[in-house]
Amino acid sequence: MRSTAPRGTLRKILKKHKPQLRLAANVDLLVHLSFLLFLHRLAEEARTNAFENKSKTIKPEHIISAAKVILKKSRG
Amino acid sequence: MLKRVMQNQPQVSPLAPRISNHEDTQEAHSEVPSKRVSSMGELQLPDVAPQDTSITVFHMKKKRKKLSISEFERAADSRLPQYQAQSTLDSTIMARSLRLSVGSLLAPDTVEKRGLLRRPKTRRAVDMQEFEGRVEQNMLKNKAGQNDLMDSQSASGIRTSILTSDAEIMMNSTELFVQPQMDEDSQSKLPALEPQLSDSKTSAQRSLISDADQEEARLEGRVSSVSTNQGRTQSYSKSSNLDDEHVDRMTRVSPETPEKQGEEKLDHSQQSNPMAEISFTEEEAVCSAERGASTVHSEHLEKKLSEKAELQITAAQNSRGETEMAPSAGEELEEGSIGGHRSPRAEGEITRGIGAESVAGHSPAFSSFHKPEMTPLSETDEQEDELQDQAVMIHLDSTVEEPAEDEVEHPPSQEVSMKTPAFVRAPAQNLLSTPHVAKPAAPSSPLKLLKPKTVPKKLRTSEKKPREPQIPRSLIKEIFRHFAKMPVTRDAFQIVEKCSERYFKQLSNDLEAYTHHAGRKTVEAADLEVLMRRQGLVTDKMPMNVLIERFLPLEYRMLLIPVAVGGNKVIPCK
Repeated sequence: MRSTAPRGTLRKILKKHKPQLRLAANVDLLVHLSFLLFLHRLAEEARTNAFENKSKTIKPEHIISAAKVILKKSRG
Repeated sequence: MLKRVMQNQPQVSPLAPRISNHEDTQEAHSEVPSKRVSSMGELQLPDVAPQDTSITVFHMKKKRKKLSISEFERAADSRLPQYQAQSTLDSTIMARSLRLSVGSLLAPDTVEKRGLLRRPKTRRAVDMQEFEGRVEQNMLKNKAGQNDLMDSQSASGIRTSILTSDAEIMMNSTELFVQPQMDEDSQSKLPALEPQLSDSKTSAQRSLISDADQEEARLEGRVSSVSTNQGRTQSYSKSSNLDDEHVDRMTRVSPETPEKQGEEKLDHSQQSNPMAEISFTEEEAVCSAERGASTVHSEHLEKKLSEKAELQITAAQNSRGETEMAPSAGEELEEGSIGGHRSPRAEGEITRGIGAESVAGHSPAFSSFHKPEMTPLSETDEQEDELQDQAVMIHLDSTVEEPAEDEVEHPPSQEVSMKTPAFVRAPAQNLLSTPHVAKPAAPSSPLKLLKPKTVPKKLRTSEKKPREPQIPRSLIKEIFRHFAKMPVTRDAFQIVEKCSERYFKQLSNDLEAYTHHAGRKTVEAADLEVLMRRQGLVTDKMPMNVLIERFLPLEYRMLLIPVAVGGNKVIPCK
């Protein structure tokens, strides 16, 4: 896995969405962590879908169906 | 020698930034009457006796340790003020010669000069060098053939030069450039620049298609030798002469224009010489007489282009009157082409020039020539480009050409102006014109041509736009692939990207809500934990720290989780 997280990019993204919101120190690392976990869950779900379709590769439709579920789950 | 150097060495002009050197030089050298002289003296130094200067430097500035450098500096400084002075002061032959000599030497000096001056200097040097080189060529050529009628007009600079050159043209029938037209135009209304433009344009038109060599040839033609311009002008004149034969021309123009243009450029020599002489005189007369309807001219111009080609082929049918027509036709063509095609571009310039030169007389005759508009369009475009370039060059020349000493120089300056645009535009033009003669590639060419001349840097910097922040695709791919442990199609990654964007949007909303709920404005780690807990990632069985330890690299772990190390120390320190 990559050894560095795009801290600056994460801060910029957050600023773009919520310019009035400020971030404490090292908070973006936790944001990165949550992003990793989100992708992890998404990948697992997509893999499950691909297995169900008996395909060896993950296809976009698997991911779409997986995203619907995971995004709903990831709502705080 | 030392004595001479000391006597000759003028006071360094205060313009140069190196005051120390100047002061030294001033002290050492005898008083100099004028800046020019001083600059000249400075120039002379490098030209005449660089060694002497060094010696004098040594002699005079004992305190100075960097003698060689100071000498360079002085030379460079002298050149600097010299150039500056040139622009401001009247042009003199001496200055001119000095500039020529200096220009050649300027390049190496500028390199050695301190960095502050180097950049702008080098740029100027290049221009100057080019210009001077061209001027030299012109001078050589002009001196051979031209009269020195214009000697008196050195003061006025380009304007006078133009006028004088025009006058010369009048005198020298061999001159085929538009100048004769310009002469009348300039006198009549438009500033000298415009006639130059027009002249240059006409000449430029020719040169557009041809390479710089042709331009030089034109210059030679000015000297009354057979040149492309002459041929062209002659052809122009011929075309003009054949006003009566408009109908014939029209028919011929359309098919032949593309051919002719190429031929015109190439063939001029024989036919034009005798014609050129006659045509010039006549043209000049005609030019003065005619100024006129641009619209009509545009048509005529287009026609002219085609006609010219034909005329060349048809050979001398030239009647004096026709020759007159030719220049006007050329002008008209330019005008017509310009007016017709490039309104947004430097048409203003061109039209101005053309307007001055436009020959009113031909308008009625040429009204019939509307057909070959298509073919001459490309030509006119080129002409316009040339004109524009020439206009630019003319401005450059006017500024640079301070020492437009004599009329001898004027024609060369004009030629230079013509040459420079052609020269500068030659590569661009060739690319544009040669592949598509008939194509209206010209609209872009003048823009292209102008761009590099004006501000090339600005374009690049302005093109940069602020990129939207987004997670790098490679990172997403890597993370997802690692988690999926299965091959993933490329399209799937696009979807993952979109999902991640939406996720971040949700995330920011949630974090804002939590922070606001806590009465804070800054997102803290506690807010993140609340979020993860609500997401179901953090549970009683799975504390946050475990997740941190699992997924984040060591460096980040150290930052997030306080670690107690020996010596009563906690990392990160709280």
